[in-house]
Amino acid sequence: MGKEHSIELRNVTKTYKRDEFTIPVLTDLDLVVPEGEFLALMGPSGSGKTTLLNLIAGLDNATQGSVIVHGQDLGGMSDGEITRWRSENVGFIFQLYNLIPVLTAFENVELPLLLTNLSKRKRRDNVMTALRAVGLEGREDHYPRQLSGGQEQRVAIARAIVTDPFLLVADEPTGDLDRKSAEEILSLLQQLNKGFNKTIVMVTHDPEAAQRASRLLHLDKGKLVHDEVRNNLEEGVASS
Amino acid sequence: MKFLHYVLRNARRSPVRSLLTIGAMSMCLALMMILISFLSVNDAVASSLRTYNRLVVMSSQGFAQPVPFARVNEIAGMKGVKHTTTFAWFGGKYHDEPMPFAQFGVSADSIFSIYDEFTISPDQVKAFADDKMGCVIGRKLAEERNIKIGDPLPLKGDIYPLDLNLTVRGVYDGPGTRDLRMCFFHWDFLNEELKRVSKNSKMTDNAGVVVVKCDSADRMVPLSKEIDNLYLNSATPTRTQTEEAFNQMFAEMFGDLRGMIRTIGLAVVMSLIFVSGNAMAMALRERTTEIAVLKAMGFQRPLVVNLVLTEAILVAFIGGLIGALGTKAFFDVVDLSKHSGGFLPFFFVPWPTAILGLGASLVIGFFSGIFPALAAARLSVINGLRKVV
Ligand SMILES: Nc1ncnc2c1ncn2[C@@H]1O[C@H](COP(=O)(O)OP(=O)(O)O)[C@@H](O)[C@H]1O
Ligand SMILES: [Mg+2]
Repeated sequence: MGKEHSIELRNVTKTYKRDEFTIPVLTDLDLVVPEGEFLALMGPSGSGKTTLLNLIAGLDNATQGSVIVHGQDLGGMSDGEITRWRSENVGFIFQLYNLIPVLTAFENVELPLLLTNLSKRKRRDNVMTALRAVGLEGREDHYPRQLSGGQEQRVAIARAIVTDPFLLVADEPTGDLDRKSAEEILSLLQQLNKGFNKTIVMVTHDPEAAQRASRLLHLDKGKLVHDEVRNNLEEGVASS
Repeated sequence: MKFLHYVLRNARRSPVRSLLTIGAMSMCLALMMILISFLSVNDAVASSLRTYNRLVVMSSQGFAQPVPFARVNEIAGMKGVKHTTTFAWFGGKYHDEPMPFAQFGVSADSIFSIYDEFTISPDQVKAFADDKMGCVIGRKLAEERNIKIGDPLPLKGDIYPLDLNLTVRGVYDGPGTRDLRMCFFHWDFLNEELKRVSKNSKMTDNAGVVVVKCDSADRMVPLSKEIDNLYLNSATPTRTQTEEAFNQMFAEMFGDLRGMIRTIGLAVVMSLIFVSGNAMAMALRERTTEIAVLKAMGFQRPLVVNLVLTEAILVAFIGGLIGALGTKAFFDVVDLSKHSGGFLPFFFVPWPTAILGLGASLVIGFFSGIFPALAAARLSVINGLRKVV
């Protein structure tokens, strides 16, 4: 595992200012996520999981300390640079899918590719490959409202992987799904992790979902309280 | 632009709101087009007169003051003059309608050589010339009142103490920028009648104004000066100007109106900016999360600004197309002058006015979109994703 392809948080503190109060969210956090890891983040509501995810994904800046990804300090980049960096390196998966309702599945997945210089034909190939990877070929002309929640989330995953980023961040990706759809999504994430070596950081409330990850991290009141590596997991098997 | 597709879909996202914005836009612009056209039609007509090399000689005291008939022949003999005619306003009633159309006492021999943009058959010109009590009327007047050649056309004197019982001998047609509802009759006939019924010397031998056809455009300015200089020290000095300037003189009587219409137009543009800006801001507020997702995905701020601006301008431009070009097309087909009771000899939306309206819609689109666009670009991604805004 190349060190430069890992995510490294050093002494990260994040506080929010509301009026004259300073709210500490993350304090003195150290974390290394090697490339190819499937990390599950758990913890009570308000413990700072989303905040941590945002820092790793380059959506937010640490108040103190540094976030180093690919050997690059995200804190030192301008808004334009970090935005470009995200478009090349990170795929986002949300609890409520966040597809664009007025665009078809195909168009939703194509959206991140519009930021590249790829030709129309190449874009089309990539979109179809991504849709195939999530098992949605034949659904490309459907609008989000014509799809089930599980299918919508799969379109969202296709959108996240279509630019071939090394990192996928998922904030409670199964939080709004029934058990069966949730299992499918988790299997898909596992497959992307194992088959395509995607680094995945996933926030979840669901202990069963967390079992699918290769490493489990517990966060409480802005501190890491439990760190467990589960190297011996078999694909699709929820043990322990 | 690869994103045009997305912009179009967004514009159609809440069709009712977009349609209401477009509706407000096109209706206000249509009203503005009509208002502005009342003035700009005059400019368009005046400038279209430029090619005909005509001068109008009026009294230096104003166009309502008499010009002695002798001037018509005197000026006809000057260098560079092709034809001259009297052009005396009669202003009579037709079947008790006050001033339903313009009536002029003219020289039957020269009137259609001077106004050579009018089309009329030589037979009819001859029939008119041969009948002292004959007259020629415009095509629109003939059509609207179903008047045929040979029909009587009785005019009751209003300014003059006499009636003219004319007979229609011809019908002229012409371009849309010309009054096609005029009635031309023999000035000689009017003058003879006047001499018969009254000995009022102020009314007889009055040419009204003299219209002069020059043989070249270059002669117009020097000739005007020569004419005015010639009569400068006479009892009835003249003021000679091009037909274009003469027409503009009437438009200038609306001088104050011009400023007012400009102010109204500006107010309309401002309020349309507020209306569309509000609609755009509301549309974007609903899309807060979506914009945050786009930015998370890597959409740069300038791109976000562009997408929102394009959408706002697109919606406004559709309103502009309907409002400005639609109004133009409408009045190209529907002749408003027919219903104006003689107040407007013609009405249409000139091209420059329609383009102005279209340009206004672009400006409105830009200013209604720029603030929501900047707000969208500034939107914090994490707040947008949390939906705390
Ligand atoms: N923009 C913000 N301004 C102020 N406080 C915030 C902001 N975002 C998050 N917080 C606070 O930070 C804490 C952690 O939030 P979050 O990371 O969303 O927790 P989790 O995802 O674990 O539920 C919460 O107490 C929350 O209220
Ligand atoms: Mg959260």
